[in-house]
Formats: sequence, C-alpha cells, structure tokens
Amino acid sequence: MIATRRGTGRIYLAFALLLALHFYVRPRIWDGRAAPDFLALGLILFALRTRPGVAAIVGFLVGLLADTLTPARFGANALAHTVLAYTAAWGRAVFFPDNLLVNAGLFAVGIWVRNVLVMLLSATPVAQLGPELLVWAPLQALSTAVAGVVVVFVLRDWFAIRLEA
Amino acid sequence: MFLGCLAVGAGALALPDGLAQPTAGWLRDTVFRPLLWLQVRGEEDRTSRSRFRALQADRDSMAVASHSVKGLLAENDRLRAVLGIRARAPSRTIPAEVLHQSVPTDGRTILLSVGRDGGVAGGDPVAAPEGLIGVVVNAGVRTSVAMTWAHPDFRVSAVTEDGAILGIAAPAQTFEASEAFLELRGVAYRDTVATGVMVMTSGLGGVYPRGIPIGRVAGVRREELGWERVYRLMPLGNPGHVAHVLVVKARGAVAVSDSLP
Repeated sequence: MIATRRGTGRIYLAFALLLALHFYVRPRIWDGRAAPDFLALGLILFALRTRPGVAAIVGFLVGLLADTLTPARFGANALAHTVLAYTAAWGRAVFFPDNLLVNAGLFAVGIWVRNVLVMLLSATPVAQLGPELLVWAPLQALSTAVAGVVVVFVLRDWFAIRLEA
Repeated sequence: MFLGCLAVGAGALALPDGLAQPTAGWLRDTVFRPLLWLQVRGEEDRTSRSRFRALQADRDSMAVASHSVKGLLAENDRLRAVLGIRARAPSRTIPAEVLHQSVPTDGRTILLSVGRDGGVAGGDPVAAPEGLIGVVVNAGVRTSVAMTWAHPDFRVSAVTEDGAILGIAAPAQTFEASEAFLELRGVAYRDTVATGVMVMTSGLGGVYPRGIPIGRVAGVRREELGWERVYRLMPLGNPGHVAHVLVVKARGAVAVSDSLP
C-alpha cells in the first residue's frame, strides 16, 4: 500500500509534528535515557508507509541528524537508522500495521535494535553492552512503544489505518 | 539507494575525528540549526515551579555559604604572601544548558547550548556544580560538543584532596550494577588512598585548572604486580542527567613542563 499524494502529505505533516514533539516537547517533559524517541518513532511510521529506497534515504538523514547532535562516533547513527528504516519498509509486507499491538511491537523492536546497532557501531566495549541491552534499550523501547500507540491512535485518520484492537 | 546510504554511512564512520567533528559542527550551525533552536527554547521553557523552588533553595544555601568566603579569601591571600606563593590566576565561567539527545551514546558526548559566539573554545573544561563533567572538543558558532568522563578517550590528571598523591583519572572499561565509574590509575604501590577521599583535577597538563572535584575513592580496583594500584572512583558529576553546566575558561592551568624541576 503506497500512500496517495494527499496521504503522503499527511505523513510528512505527521513526521514534522513528531519532530516538534522530539525537539520541543520532550526536553520540557522528560529527557532521560528512557524517554521516548519521537524521531525514531516518526521514522518507523514513515518507513512503514513508503518505498524501501525512500525510507533508507530518510533513515540516513535522521541518523545524520542524530550523529550531528551526539557525535560520540560520527556515522554510527546514520548506518543504524538506514538499516532500521529500510527493514521497517520491507517489514510492511510481513506485518499488518493496522493492529495497535503489532504497531507497539514494531516500535519497541525497532528502538531496541537501533540502540544495539548504535552501541555496536560506536565500538562500545562488550562489558558495557549488557546494561544497554538489558536495561536502557528495553526501557526506551517500552516508552516509545507507548508513545507510538498514542500517536497512531490520535492520528489514525492521517495514516489511513483502521485499528483492529 | 539503500546500498548507497550504507556506503556513505560507512564512509562517515571511517572519518577521522579531526574531520568528523568539524563536519558535525558545520551541520549543526547550518542545516539542523532550526531544530536546535527549537530544543534550546524547549529547555528554557522547562523551568517549572518545582524546579524554580529547587533553584531558589540552592541560591539561598549559596548565599549563606558565601558569607564566610570573604574571610577565607583574605586568609588565603595572607598565607600566600607569607609563603611567597603567587596568587592563583582567576578563571571565569560560562553557563550552558545541556541539550540531551535520545540515542544511547548521549552521555559520552553532550551538546551544549553555547558556542564560539558565547566565548566557548575547544579544550575548555566543563563542570557541573557537583564536579567535573568533561572537556569541549568542538565549538560551533552557537553550540558546542563536550567529551564527558564516560567517553573511552577521556583522561584527566588528578590529585587527592590533600595534594599528596597524583594519578590519572580515566573511565573504567566495565560497568558494575549498570553504573559507569572512573579509575584512578598510576598510583604508586607504596601510596595508599583511603576510601572516601576526594579526588580533584591537579592542574597539570594545561587543560583543567586545579581544584575541580572529580570523584571519591570507592576502594582498590586492582593491583598491577607490585608497582601500581588502580582505585575505583565514583564520579560526582553525572553527564547523563545534568541539565546545566559551567564552561570554565581556565587561566590557571599548569603545563607539565612547568611543573618539572
């Protein structure tokens, strides 16, 4: 299901809204390590509704933005977000993003995988991967999944989805 | 397109730090500037009632504590004059807000809301009220990036509170109970540092001024076959949670060559 022109406009608008949430609302409310990542959430929602190639480019740009703001290892986020967006775009053929629980699962798995990829590509010592894999990444995945469910529910008309649950 | 993005990403990953940091700085100052402007506004607007009360309480405590400062300064000047020690060069600080990001490497580097136009330059130390946070590695026009003590490349020359034992503080390569900590390395085997002793910057090396608290000793971590002890150091400043920092414009740091006989 490739979005129509009107639908595409709404998806871009939703992405812009999530950007504003990420950069303006999140720092005001909760900017801890487990806080929801609206940027990655927007990327997954966008990737699920577009072609894999376009998703990869947008993923790369979002990753580049993250790299620019946290240049602990420049390029790690660009690679991780490219893989995340491309996989999410292909995942549309496998999953049915009309179910709230499936959406929540996709967001959670996406964030967890993204965090693991970023840590691995940032040359993080193996001993330090444990807390990230088992504590922080799952917490952020959970909070992002909850935020994602709310966003999908509120913007269900924009994304043209009929929720089953 | 996917493979192209992967190739460019891999190329960016292979960039040396000397090229990657200026590239990131240029992108922050141009393409992504509107988003950063938005985040700075968000941080500024966060000052809620409860936070304001906390700041007010801090200010009141500082006001009470500052009553004794004048006397201490006068006493310090007298003692320096008696011992013939020149006065410590004054240092000034620039306040900055920390713009936290949502990626897992946030905390190894932090983005600050002031840059070159605010007087920040590469190599300036960054401290929180609790203690040392890190050092500025790249100063853009309006923002700058600091490498924190959690970054694997971080090192600082350290000394115990009484000035008796010197060492190098560096991040430990392992976590214990999900908590990052520092190591005080290079302490001679004959020297013993008790648990709880405060460790601060020594001023050697020309980057960090003397006297910024780094952490407290939390026991011996390992011993290197009779010639060195490595101590576990619990850092005082937490780069993952700190909201406001001070960029220290150091004037009193001592170059290593000056400290040698």
